[in-house]
Amino acid sequence: MTKLTLDNVTVHYEGQPQPAVVDTSLSVASGEFVVLTGRSGCGKTSLLNVAAGLVAPAGGRASVNGLPIAEPGADRAVVFQNDALFPWLTVRDNVAFALRMRGVPEAERRDRSDAVLTQVKLEGYGDRRIWELSGGMRQRVGLARALAAEPDFLLMDEPLGALDALTRERMQTLLLDIWAASGVGVLMVTHGIEEALLLATTVFVMAPGPGRIVKRIEADFGRRYAAGEPVRSIKADAVFVLARAELADAIFEGELA
Amino acid sequence: MTLTTGRELPITGLRPTGEPVAVWIGDADPTQDQSNQLRLRPPVSARTVSFITVAALLLAWSLAAHLQLVSPVFLPSQYAVAAKLVSVAQNGFVDATLLQHLAASLGRVFAALVVALAVGIPVGIAIGVSVVGRGIFDPILEFLRPIPPLAYLPLVIIWFGIGEPSKILVIAIAMIAPIALSAASGVRGVSQERVNAARALGASRAQVIRHVILPSSLPSILTGLRIALGAGWTTLVAAELIAATRGLGFMIQSAAQFLVTDVVIMGIFVIAGVAFVLEFVIRRLEAALVPWAGRD
Ligand SMILES: Nc1ncnc2c1ncn2[C@@H]1O[C@H](COP(=O)(O)OP(=O)(O)OP(=O)(O)O)[C@@H](O)[C@H]1O
Ligand SMILES: [Mg+2]
Repeated sequence: MTKLTLDNVTVHYEGQPQPAVVDTSLSVASGEFVVLTGRSGCGKTSLLNVAAGLVAPAGGRASVNGLPIAEPGADRAVVFQNDALFPWLTVRDNVAFALRMRGVPEAERRDRSDAVLTQVKLEGYGDRRIWELSGGMRQRVGLARALAAEPDFLLMDEPLGALDALTRERMQTLLLDIWAASGVGVLMVTHGIEEALLLATTVFVMAPGPGRIVKRIEADFGRRYAAGEPVRSIKADAVFVLARAELADAIFEGELA
Repeated sequence: MTLTTGRELPITGLRPTGEPVAVWIGDADPTQDQSNQLRLRPPVSARTVSFITVAALLLAWSLAAHLQLVSPVFLPSQYAVAAKLVSVAQNGFVDATLLQHLAASLGRVFAALVVALAVGIPVGIAIGVSVVGRGIFDPILEFLRPIPPLAYLPLVIIWFGIGEPSKILVIAIAMIAPIALSAASGVRGVSQERVNAARALGASRAQVIRHVILPSSLPSILTGLRIALGAGWTTLVAAELIAATRGLGFMIQSAAQFLVTDVVIMGIFVIAGVAFVLEFVIRRLEAALVPWAGRD
C-alpha cells in the first residue's frame, strides 16, 4: 500500500504576481480514485504536476510514503490531455517506452506491451503508426503507455477531454475496469461533472484566485460499477442525481455572485 | 473578382476579404473554403511556363551557336558540349575520366558532410537544450555563417596545408552552421509535453535527449542537411582551388585556363545535375526516415 501526499502545497510560477495554488493538501492511496475538478485556471494542472514531480512547490511538501518527490518517476506515470505520444515509434514501442528506459530486454518488452494493449482493447494494433489511429485509440495508447510502466499511481490531466461524448463514455468504463483490476491509485483532472462523480472515490473541487480546494465529496459510484452495476442504473439513481447537483453548485459557487 | 478573368497572372492578389496579399495561392487559401464552387486556377501551370522557358533558352543557345553569333570559343554548341561529355567520360580530361572527377568531388563533399554532422548535431543540441551551450556556440556560428569560403580558404591552407584534409575542412565549415542551426531550432520546437511524458515514464535526462529530443528534431536536422549539401556543393569549386589533381571544380578550372569552354559548360551541367539528384535522394530519405513529419 503506497500513499502520495501533498501537504500544504503552494505553487508560485516565476514572474507571476500571485501564487497559482496556495496551502493545498490532499492524498491518494493505492486503490483510490481521486478527481480534481473546478473552473479553468484554478490550479488543477499545477497540483497534478507537483504530484508528478514536473513542478516544484514553492511551499509545503509532496511525498510518496514519506519520501519527498524530487523529480518525475515511473512510479507516477502521467497521461496527458493531448496524448503526447511519440510518432516516430510504433504503437507497441510507445507502450514499451518505460520498459526500454529500464533496460528490459526486447522480447519481454514485446510480451508485456502486447498484454497491456489487450487490456486497453487494442490487441493487434502493435505495429500500427500513431498517426493512423483515431483520437480515442491514441488516448488508449497513452493510457497503455502509462500502465506498462506498472506505476503505483496514474496521474491523468483531462485524459478524455479531447474525445467525443460516446467515445468518452466508453473510455470512462474502461478506466474503471483497469483501475479496479490493477489497484493503482489514480489522480485525475477533469471538467466533466458526471465523469468526476462516476469515476471518483473522492472529488476535490478547486476554486481560483488563488487556487485552493473548496470542497471534498466522497463517492462510491465507481466501486458500484466495479461490483457489477450498469452505468445506466447508477446514473439514474437519485443519490447520483443529487450528488451531481451538489458538485455543480460547488464548482460554480461564487462565479455568479 | 478580377482574379478569375484569366487575362493576366496577378502579382498582388486580393483575398476574398479584400485584404491585399503579396503572394496569392488560390488553392490553399483558408478563407476560400467552398473550393468546389470557386476554384481559382491560373490559365497556365507554372510547370508549363518553366518548360517553355527552358526550351526557349536552349533554342536561343542553339541559334546563337549555329549562326555563329558568338565565337565557338566562348559559346560552343550543345552538340559540342554533349560530345565532350561522352569523350571526357571515355578518355578523360587532365588525367582523369569524368567518373573519377565526379567520385573525387562526391568523396570530398560526403567526407565533409560526415564531419559536419558529427560536429553540427551535438552543437545544435547543446544550443537547444542548454543556456551555456547557446552562450558558447551561438556567437561562433553567427560569426562563421556569413563568411564566404574563399575568405577563409587561405587561412585553412596556412594552418593545415594543401592536402586533402584542408579541402574537406573548407567544405565542412560551410556545412556546419546550417546543420547546427537546424538542429537547434528542431530541439527548441520539441513539445514540452513529450519531454514531460518521457520523464514521467522514467527516462533520465540523457535518455530524454537520445529517445525524445533527437528523433523529434530529426525532420529539422534533415532540412539542415539539405541546405548543408547545397552549401557544400557550392563550396566545392573553391575547395578544389587548393592544389587538387581531380574533381569537378578542378576540371572546370583547368579547362578555363586553356579556354576549353565546352568542358567548362559540361562541368557546370554535371555539377547542377548532381545537385539535382542529391536533392531528390534527400527528399526520399526524408520520406523514409521521418514519415510522421507534418502529420502531427
Ligand atoms: N508555466 C506557467 N507559468 C506561469 N503561470 C502558469 C504556468 N502554468 C499555469 N500558470 C498559471 O497558473 C494558474 C493555474 O493554472 P493551471 O494550468 O494549473 O490551471 P487549471 O486548473 O489546470 O486550468 P485548466 O482547467 O484551464 O487546465 C493560471 O492562472 C495559469 O495562468
Ligand atoms: Mg489544466
